Amino acid sequence: MRRVLTPIIIIAALILGPEVHAQKSTDASEYFIKAGYIYNFAKLVGWPATGFAKPDSPIVIGVLGDDSFAAVLGGAIDGKKIEGRGFLLKRLRWSKDGKDMKECNILFISSSEAAHNDEVIQILKGTSTLSIGDTAGFAKRGGIINFVLEDSNVRFEINLESAKQADLNISSRLISVAKIVKPESHGDR
Amino acid sequence: MKQTAKTRSTNFAVAPRKMGTKRHFESTAFLSSGLRRPALRVFMAMLLIASTVYAQGSQTFPDVTAISLEDLMNLKVTSVSKRAQKLADAPAAVFVITQEDIRRSGARSIPEALRLAPGVEVARIDENKWAIGSRGFNGRFANKLLVLIDGRTVYTPLFSGVYWNVQDVMVEDVDRIEVIRGPGATLWGANAVNGVINVITKSAQATQSGLITAEAGTEERILSGARYGGTIKDRGFYRAYTKYSKWASSTDATGQDAFDGWDTLHGGFRFDSNMPGDNSYTVQGDIYHSGYGETLTAPTLTAPYLTTFRNNGDFSGGNILARWNRTFSKSTTSLQMYYDKTNTSADSLLVDHQNIYDIDFQHDVRVNEHQELIWGVGYRSTQDHILSSPAVTLDPDHRSLSLFSGFVQNEFNTFTNHLRITLGSKFEHNGFTGFEFEPNARALWTLNRKHSVWGAVSRAVRTPARTEEDMRLNAAVLPPSAQTLGLPAEVSVYGNKAFKSEDLVAYEAGYRLQWSPAFSADVTTFYNSYSNLLSAEPGAPFLELTPNPPHLVVPLVAANKMSGGTYGTELFADWKVVPKWRVSGSYSYLHMNIRRNVDSLDQSSLDPAGISPSHQFYVRSSIDLLKNLEPDITLRYVDSLSGLAIPSYYSLDAHIGWKPVGPVELSLGAKNLLDHQHLEFRPDFITTSPTQVKRTFYGTITWRF
Repeated sequence: MRRVLTPIIIIAALILGPEVHAQKSTDASEYFIKAGYIYNFAKLVGWPATGFAKPDSPIVIGVLGDDSFAAVLGGAIDGKKIEGRGFLLKRLRWSKDGKDMKECNILFISSSEAAHNDEVIQILKGTSTLSIGDTAGFAKRGGIINFVLEDSNVRFEINLESAKQADLNISSRLISVAKIVKPESHGDR
Repeated sequence: MKQTAKTRSTNFAVAPRKMGTKRHFESTAFLSSGLRRPALRVFMAMLLIASTVYAQGSQTFPDVTAISLEDLMNLKVTSVSKRAQKLADAPAAVFVITQEDIRRSGARSIPEALRLAPGVEVARIDENKWAIGSRGFNGRFANKLLVLIDGRTVYTPLFSGVYWNVQDVMVEDVDRIEVIRGPGATLWGANAVNGVINVITKSAQATQSGLITAEAGTEERILSGARYGGTIKDRGFYRAYTKYSKWASSTDATGQDAFDGWDTLHGGFRFDSNMPGDNSYTVQGDIYHSGYGETLTAPTLTAPYLTTFRNNGDFSGGNILARWNRTFSKSTTSLQMYYDKTNTSADSLLVDHQNIYDIDFQHDVRVNEHQELIWGVGYRSTQDHILSSPAVTLDPDHRSLSLFSGFVQNEFNTFTNHLRITLGSKFEHNGFTGFEFEPNARALWTLNRKHSVWGAVSRAVRTPARTEEDMRLNAAVLPPSAQTLGLPAEVSVYGNKAFKSEDLVAYEAGYRLQWSPAFSADVTTFYNSYSNLLSAEPGAPFLELTPNPPHLVVPLVAANKMSGGTYGTELFADWKVVPKWRVSGSYSYLHMNIRRNVDSLDQSSLDPAGISPSHQFYVRSSIDLLKNLEPDITLRYVDSLSGLAIPSYYSLDAHIGWKPVGPVELSLGAKNLLDHQHLEFRPDFITTSPTQVKRTFYGTITWRF
């Protein structure tokens, strides 16, 4: 019963709660849903031991672009812990060297920065950063997770090969609800 | 015009404005893998309790981290920015009627729902007939509007119009109705001249629950429906529905029963795949049967030369559609096929069997950051068989027609995405007029987040319908006189094998304002230049011996000798005064100046300016009260139709929805509160009695499980 009740109250809160005026053009609900997903990803993805300095090091989440989303995500993960780890949210700006990005455990690339998607994917090669995109084709082109909208539901794609290369362990629960995509092959449009 | 999947939706898609109540989340698929059925009911109930409790409660930031992955999957974004942005990006006069609009208005049919769209003319002729049009030329056989349901074209090739009484869907399963005023021919082809109406139902995944609904009222004897949705493991989602409706008859202008009651039984299904990978499939189908009555006035060759009688008819048919979408990294493809069978049997008029086979392929390519290319090809085969009557004959009585089509459209951004230009054309080859091309050029200038302007120039054609080529309709009989050589004179409308397509060149401009999340508005203005419009030219009278008695035939032959211009403007504004009170309104103005060409001798065609309202407006208020009460009030005004002697009218509709705790929803509604009854239209061509639209009351109960 409790298990059922909690999400209900939250949903009710979202329905009746205050409007979030922070964002400009994006409807709040999409941000909240994505923030909820990212928290779940943090729970259901296993990083290699090298990903964290100490057992209680925070999970570093970077948001490239779109400060409004960063505000929502920041609010959502504030004070939360997963297996003893807290969260640290970084708002990032695009830079070619990508040093900040490589230091993140999770990097969300908002659609406003989609022009840099390929470069970000290249920068993150060889790191264990969970890249999360928000533009069509992101996972297919080497990103790990990508949000997609299907009939007004937010769903996500996973590129398992990219996850494997990043040495990330994706839980079967995540895989079971994801759309699995394969990296694009040459000549494939 | 951005078009990612023409076959699925107009794809300006959606959510033109933020919704009032459940403005953030709407949990659609209650049967998520994480929730079993009993839990579902608890869930529903709790949701309702919690929401009332919370209403007075605190204003804290919601804790999204407590929502499970499975629940997140099922939460619905009711106002999707991406799509809303796409709408704001559409260089066309687009309006979206959402499920929320439909539900809150109490609309139970597509025609009723269309009254919510600005600038669309919706008039009821009798209980089972409507005249629906956009930017003029309205009528029961209005032929300049393209109507699609889930990608399937539903106008009949017989007369290029729509049998609105059989275009029925489970209204609860409608995701949205996209209404485009103005031409959409480049993407949709012939007939998308003055507008496109695209009814899009929810995916089966979004209807994973049961629903039973029943409505009764002073006009509707019963409107009932049932739908159930479920999952096929590892394959996808399905739903099936059935609905039965029965309407009482109304009265004609003299207060006599017009025998226009009708009933309809529909059933159907939809399957949407859910398999890993890049492919997705949809298969859906419907079957239906409908019986109706009407009061028909038909000419006779003997005195009194016309007779009015009670006439019956029925419709039956079905359709099946399959669609395969495939996603590539930079492009998507869609292949759609359908078969549609429509049988209409109107006693004393004709029996018509139409079989349509259609296949369409579309490829959307994202060329680069700034350019998107869409192209497609299609083929449609139409086969008909018509059994004539003394009143209506078609020669030949069966015909098979092919339509080949292709289109290409390129959209590119420039000036750091502030300017978006769309260029494209449709190319068609049809069995009547051969090759047609329908290009358009559109531009959208986004000044900033608040203001955008757009403009478009497009050409569209309305290809001939079967009746305009092959029909003879005996419209009236004049009593014998000296002028008619002492014989009865039968005035007959003839089709013409040389009938050409009607042409339109449209110039449109629009401005959109998104002042704040709470206030938005848009204005559209247009000038349409028509040529080759249908006229009825008198031919040389001749003597006909059969049927008896011998009579003179005065032919009126279809020709293309009308032309002219129309202009108008349409406004829409939406204001969320406070979060729980939304007011929206629209105003539209239309001026029509359609004239006979100098070489035309047509004396019989009505001036279309007299059959479409010059002014229309509505104001709508939607309030969310505590305890889940949702009162809606709509005031509409429709200007007089001078050509039909229909006075202007105001109509006040009210609807209140109540969701008590539990899976049951109740609603009460009233239509046309301001007068006892009024006429909205008179029929053209086929002279059935127009009937009164009355003040009605109704109540609905909906049970979701």
